Formats: sequence, structure tokens, C-alpha cells
Amino acid sequence: MSTAKQLAVLTLAALVVAGACSHRKTLVTPDVPTPESATASSTAAGTEGATTVVQAEPAIGSAGTPEAGVSASDLPTDLVELNRAGYLKDAFFDTNKADLRDDTRELLAANAAWLKGHPTVKVQIEGHCDERNTGEYNLALGWRRAFAVKDYLGSLGVDAGRIGVISYGEEKPFAQGHDESAWSQNRRVHFAITGR
Amino acid sequence: MRQRATGAGLAFALLATTAAAQEEVYLKVTSPGLQRVVIGVAPFTSRSAVDAVATSQFMNTLRTDLDQTAVMGLLPEENARLVEPAPGNPGLTRQRWRSVGAQLLLDGTFSGAGNQLVVEAQLWELTSGEIAYSRRFQAGNALAATMAHTLANEIVRLLTGQPGPFLSRIAFISDRSGAKELWLMRWDGSDPQQLTTHRSIALAPAWSPDGQWLAFTSFLRGQPQLFVLRPTQGSFKPISTLPGVNTSASFSPDGKQVVFAAGDDGNTHLWVVPAEGGTPVQLTTTRGISTQPAWSPNGRQIVFTSTMGGSPQLYAIDAEGTNLRRLTFEDKFADEAAWAPDGVRLAYTTQVDGRFQIATLDLRTNARAVIDGPGSNESPCWSPDGTTLAFVSTRTGRKQIFITDPLGRPRQITNDGNNTQPSWVAQVQ
Repeated sequence: MSTAKQLAVLTLAALVVAGACSHRKTLVTPDVPTPESATASSTAAGTEGATTVVQAEPAIGSAGTPEAGVSASDLPTDLVELNRAGYLKDAFFDTNKADLRDDTRELLAANAAWLKGHPTVKVQIEGHCDERNTGEYNLALGWRRAFAVKDYLGSLGVDAGRIGVISYGEEKPFAQGHDESAWSQNRRVHFAITGR
Repeated sequence: MRQRATGAGLAFALLATTAAAQEEVYLKVTSPGLQRVVIGVAPFTSRSAVDAVATSQFMNTLRTDLDQTAVMGLLPEENARLVEPAPGNPGLTRQRWRSVGAQLLLDGTFSGAGNQLVVEAQLWELTSGEIAYSRRFQAGNALAATMAHTLANEIVRLLTGQPGPFLSRIAFISDRSGAKELWLMRWDGSDPQQLTTHRSIALAPAWSPDGQWLAFTSFLRGQPQLFVLRPTQGSFKPISTLPGVNTSASFSPDGKQVVFAAGDDGNTHLWVVPAEGGTPVQLTTTRGISTQPAWSPNGRQIVFTSTMGGSPQLYAIDAEGTNLRRLTFEDKFADEAAWAPDGVRLAYTTQVDGRFQIATLDLRTNARAVIDGPGSNESPCWSPDGTTLAFVSTRTGRKQIFITDPLGRPRQITNDGNNTQPSWVAQVQ
């Protein structure tokens, strides 16, 4: 097995474990796994004394939600991996609206905290719509949604220069159906990390 | 191939010569939709060796075209078969065409030299027995269909004062290649040609009135930008890279300016930019979304969609950016306004019971009519002569482009993939 493949497997394993330990306050630093973290991950993985799990710890740390102040070097170097890790949650919208709902504001506040904790990270905010308006109107609606999110992040202290904005309207739907379950998935602002 | 064909088509047009100067409207048709004039087409005779493929294509194309408009219908084949030509007595032959129901008769001859085809055609008004129209055409055999379209256009012009649609083309967006690209087809859906291979997202094509340029939006460079493309040359260039959506282009009637939608905050505004590119000037400043502008045929005003009053509705503003007024009040939603060439009627997209439907609005009388059709129907676009509409419908499944036929019946002209956002031009130049 090549080193790259090994890493990928370990990262995957780490992602599975991450859910179990994401609530922990203290996270390991990449290169010096503590006994505490080794135990925690051993338990989570359900294996005793498995040294490979200990080696996987750095990846576990990066797949969770690091506390503010952790440097960007803790994050996966690969942008695809970084985006897949799901640090930043997408915001959802009501039909034909660009207003931020209360639950959306809470979610965005968490995104803002994470962004402030990772001051080198750059994001692109993508506005998306369901298919129930005309294509060109939806392009403008997606733009409005993306800006509503950008402005709110700005009000929470995130530097606007780190945030790119684009609207895809209805052109890149997340769900392909033609019913409310698909539409509700497609009325969103998606966060794409473009730089770490 | 496409470029060569278009260039040759232009040369052919210059070769068409008038044998009988008969430019005025000779035959008045009181109102389209009433009785269609019945036209018979006699088999054209060959005076010298001609390319059988070319002449057959000419006759088939001609017969198809002449049955496609509101003003005339082709004499049924079973009637035409009853006519026995009277040798040496063309007058008697014409009487026989009249006796089986033809009011007009088109006859003519083919001759050729090398790869050239010469067509001499006469249109007879059978009641008076007079020649209504006579013309000689010459072009390469490969342009036989184009010659037939040109002749059919002339006959429609004779009846209505406006040329027929037979050389017109529709630009549209199709995902049939796997990505949303810009395409071009004839008015009846034939001869589809892919204009872009960006493998990105292309949107919202709009013709310059002279048929030289297509404006469209592309995500080719990441952000959506506004481009103009010359179909006969295959070249394109950006004309707006403003922040925002850079979409919904509409040319001014003189072709010199383009109005479109963009915005550097969350709002989307209307902007005007020189069609050659330049510095965009902001036209509207209202909050919310203003998009889908359509420049009026006389150039004085621009109709657009705005959410300034809440739901999306149609508004008009003078081209200088003053005299803002609301046009639609009865719709929950109104969008995608398209001006009829007469400058009086608008077609637009409304919503009825959660589905899109096409509606029309007469700006003199404020009369509004919803064209109720199955499926969801959107993106109306007038034919260049203003007699019919192209639109997008889901009535057969995916999004397809339809046109309405002379009797108001919808006719699907695309099949492959999803096909949207038609823009119709009289002739590509």
C-alpha cells in the first residue's frame, strides 16, 4: 500500500471516529499524540492497544471542529478533504426568500466563530435556488441569498475580504427531484473553502 | 461548415434577380386566422440536366414551408393528383388547378450548369389568371433548401407584407452535450448547431436585431460574465465582468447598446453597456431584484422584472432611467417579458396554481390573457414577424422548446436533452 493510500484510509477512519469525539474541548496537536487522546480513540474505535489508531490521531483532530485559535496547519492540506470535513455548515432558506431564519443565524454564528479561529481560511459563498422561479430570476435570488449570508458574517466580525460570493441560481441543484424535499435542499447557501 | 454555408447564403441572396418588379403587397389577406389562401405547387420542369437531389430537396422544402403559415395552406396532395397537365396549353392546366380548389399556383423550371442550380418561379393568381410574382434564383446545389426558403419567404411577404420565417433561426440553451451550451437551430428545429463548447454553464442568449451578435452569460471563467458572440465567425468576447449575475442581456433596437442585470451588493440592478464593450452605466437603483430587461422595439423604454413591490412583477422605465411604472397587477408572479415587434404587446411568464404559464399583455388596452397549457410553460419569445411565439414547456417531460403553429397549436421543435431560453432572429448575418 502506498503512503498516500495509507493516509487516505487513516483519514477515513478518523472521519468515522470524529463524530464520537467532536464534543471534546481538548484536541490533540498533530505531531504529539497524548496518552489521553490515544485512549479516547482506542475506545472509540473499539480496539485495545492498536498502534495504528494512535497514528491516526492527527487526522481525527482535523476532522473534528477545532477550537478557535487552532492554526490552519491543523487542517487537512487537501482542499477537497477540507471541504468534505464539513467545518462550515450550509444555510437554508424559505421559498423565494433571502431572509435569514433564526436557526440559520445560529448556524452562521458557529461558522463565523470557526472562520475567526482560522483567519487564513478563504471561502466562497454560493447562492442556490430551487427550480420554481425562472432561471434568470433565480440567478439574482441566489446572489441575494449569498450576500445576506456574507453581510451577516461581516456583522459578526468576519473580514469581508476572505469571502467570495457567487450565485448559481438553479443551475447546480444539490437534489434532483421535483418536489418539496428536493426544493428545500436546493434553497441554500453553500460554503466552499477555497484557501487555507 | 457552418461558416461556409452562411457566407455562401449571403452570396446567393445577392444573385437573386427580379424578373418582374412586383414589390408591393399584391394580395391582401384581411386577417390571419380566417380562411387560409390555398396554394397549389406544380412540379417544376427541368430545362437541362440538373442535380436530382438538389431539385428534390428544393421541392420538398418549398412544399413544407408553404403549409406552415397562418396566411396560406398547401392544396391537399389528393386534389393536386387530379390535375392532368394539358400539353402545350398552360392556361388550361392552370384552369384545372383552379377547378380542384387552388387559388394560387406556383410553377417554375429548373436549369443548371456545373454545380449551380437555376430556379425560375412564377406565382399565378388563378381567379384573374395573372402572374402575381416572378423571380429567378441561382445558387450552388448545396443551397437548394435555402433557395426554397427564400422563395417561400417572398410568397409570404407578398401575402402579408412581412417575409416568412423560413430563414429565421432560434438560439437556445441545451444540455444535450452534458453541459449547458449555446445552440442554434432553424425555426422548425432542424439543423441544430452547437455554438459553444465551454463545458461550463451558458445562459440567456439574446440576438442583436441585425442577427450578427448573440449576447449570453457564461460561467466559463468562474463568475458569470456577459459575452457577445458572432455565430458566423465563432469568436466571442466579454462585455461585462461586473460583480453579480451579468445576465438577461437585451439589445437596443439600433444594436449599439445592451441592457442587462448585475449588482455589486445583494441587490441586482439594470445596467447599460455599449455592445462592443465599455463602461457599464447603472440604470436602476431600487432595492431587491431587478432583472430580465427587454428593450422596446422603438428604443424608448425598457420593461423588466422587479421585486421592489414584494413579489416579482413587470415594470417599465424609460431608456434614460426615468418614469418608472408598474405594468402587472393581477399576477402573483410576472417575469421574462418579451416585446412583440409591434411594440404594443408583451408576452411574459406568470404563475397559475404553482405552474408557469405564458401570458400576454396589450399595453394600449391593458388587456391580459393567459395561454393555459399543460405542464409548466415559460420563457416566451416572439417570432420575428410577431405572429407566433416560441416558449419552453415541460408538457412532454423534460424542458423542451415549442412554437405555436398557424392554428395556435403547440409544436415541439426540440427533443434531445433539456432545451431552454429561446431567442428568435429573422436571419443570421
